[in-house]
Amino acid sequence: MEQLIQHVINGAMVGSTYAVVAVGFALTFSVLRVINVAHPEVFMLAMFTGLVVVQALTQNFLIVLVIAATAALVAGLAIERAVLRPLRRADLLMPMIATAGVSVFLQYGVQGVAGPDELRFPRILPFAPLEVGAITVTSLQLITFGIAVLILLACSFYVRRTRWGLAARAVAERPDIAATFGVNVSRVAQITVGLSSFMAGAAGVGIAVLYGSAWSFVGLLYGLKSWVCMLVAGNRHIEAVMLVGIMLGILEALTTAYVSSSFRDAVAFVVLIVVLYKRPDGLFGSYSY
Amino acid sequence: MLSLGFWEPVLILAGLNAIIAIGVYITLMSGQASLAHAAFAGIGAYSAAVLTTNFHVPFPLAILAGMSVGLVGGALLSLVTMRMSLLVVALTTLGFGETMVVIAFNIEYLGGAQSFSGIPLYTSIGLVYAVLALVLFVAWRFDHSRLGLAARAVRDSSVTAAAMGINVPLVRILTFALGGGIAALGGGLSAHYTLVINPGDMTFFESFRYKLFVLTGGSYTFLGPLAGALALTLLPEALRVALALSDVLSQSLRFMIYGIIVVLVVIWRPQGVITRVPTGVRARFPWPGRPAARVSPAAKVAALAAESRADRADASLGSPGADRP
Repeated sequence: MEQLIQHVINGAMVGSTYAVVAVGFALTFSVLRVINVAHPEVFMLAMFTGLVVVQALTQNFLIVLVIAATAALVAGLAIERAVLRPLRRADLLMPMIATAGVSVFLQYGVQGVAGPDELRFPRILPFAPLEVGAITVTSLQLITFGIAVLILLACSFYVRRTRWGLAARAVAERPDIAATFGVNVSRVAQITVGLSSFMAGAAGVGIAVLYGSAWSFVGLLYGLKSWVCMLVAGNRHIEAVMLVGIMLGILEALTTAYVSSSFRDAVAFVVLIVVLYKRPDGLFGSYSY
Repeated sequence: MLSLGFWEPVLILAGLNAIIAIGVYITLMSGQASLAHAAFAGIGAYSAAVLTTNFHVPFPLAILAGMSVGLVGGALLSLVTMRMSLLVVALTTLGFGETMVVIAFNIEYLGGAQSFSGIPLYTSIGLVYAVLALVLFVAWRFDHSRLGLAARAVRDSSVTAAAMGINVPLVRILTFALGGGIAALGGGLSAHYTLVINPGDMTFFESFRYKLFVLTGGSYTFLGPLAGALALTLLPEALRVALALSDVLSQSLRFMIYGIIVVLVVIWRPQGVITRVPTGVRARFPWPGRPAARVSPAAKVAALAAESRADRADASLGSPGADRP
């Protein structure tokens, strides 16, 4: 029983990072109706920015987090300006292909600089195991989990309680009608991509510290997982995306523990196919697109 | 047999990619953005290779068997994705492909992570291009067939198509099956050239590459995927020769250039590079026994609609001020 709880807790920790990337992904998708394949690469870029800052500047976690997330923000805005905006009126699949090009560019660009191997990321947070009965949680895990939860709460507040969040939801519902009511659709798109990238950047640093490593192709894994979260939950409620992200982490931890680690990655996709077959709009409904 | 040296394997690869890209094209024609075609190619490859290697079935039979597995798989997958919208189909089929990868990894009989090897060599450059010619012929006739026209209608608006009496589910199943079958055919040929199949060949990354060929080349005529596959397969190799370096840095540089070129081409022509068959070509090669004058009015209307769609796409590029929200 203690073991089960331990697996659930570990899974929830991993799942919270899936949730942060997935929420950014879902926001971009619902507002711009674009699958931003380069989104996880922004996450990867923040990891490496964090690594550079740690080595060259400071070991202070908060400063590293803010600088790396800002770098992610800049990268996200650049992608929006250079690729997504020119393709606003194109076929749905074209932005997907173009951002895939960006993603290849970034992956190999970072590989060219950092080399193909995993790099060690210094543990810049305290690593103290806390024991409650037979369950062990490290302070590192708790801090990264806390950051993820804070980001998710802030994001939820933004979408539900602020003017720009309201505008974003209006654009996600019907871009044409939102524009008629005076919403600046381009600006909303820009802010959404910026916010998503900033969140992904923060998550990237968290993951790098948690696992103590950074490598140029990490985006592939997170990209796939966050697509699954978004589709299973549906993109109408970002809180649902968060929940599914955490559930997915738990499900994977349980699969690894009780079935086989080689089936871990397939679990997400089997869930995806079953859910979408029954409910093409996801469990909690989607905006029409 | 003429020798092409360094370029022969590259040309074979380009031909195989073009065959699979045509498969993707036919499935996409009915508005199903499949990212499972690398998995279909892999299914075809595994089926054909097991038959030739372990059961000594004659090569053509094995290839056809692999192709039929792809056909059936495509039909079944389209039943699953029937009610989904374009992008959801893309991600669901992607999930299907990744599941296939994990399954292949865990089947000892197929070599698991060690790859399936010991496949006899049957595929030559002549065979690849003969099959490509055949597949192109099928795609060309598909473009002009009732099924092809119905598929275009479904792609543009499935609701309108259904209202016009088109059996939308049937069109989707048939195009997915045909596309999956052609991809499996390409995969079977490929397995008997590379002589080894790795579960990693079926990942979404490969599927994405095929989709890239089709969308950058142009997804409204069969010439699009052909041009896309040939150009984008030859490009990295040409860059390899041009850069004349052979370390990780050169590999990185090659793929960075590749990424930029893809982005620029997509922004330059959001409908794909080739949007229609040049009219001169169409007039010169009419279907035998059916003179151009006897083309049915419906087909003419469809052709006109396709051309005006392409023109609109060109026009909208030139007017960035006209901002549709």
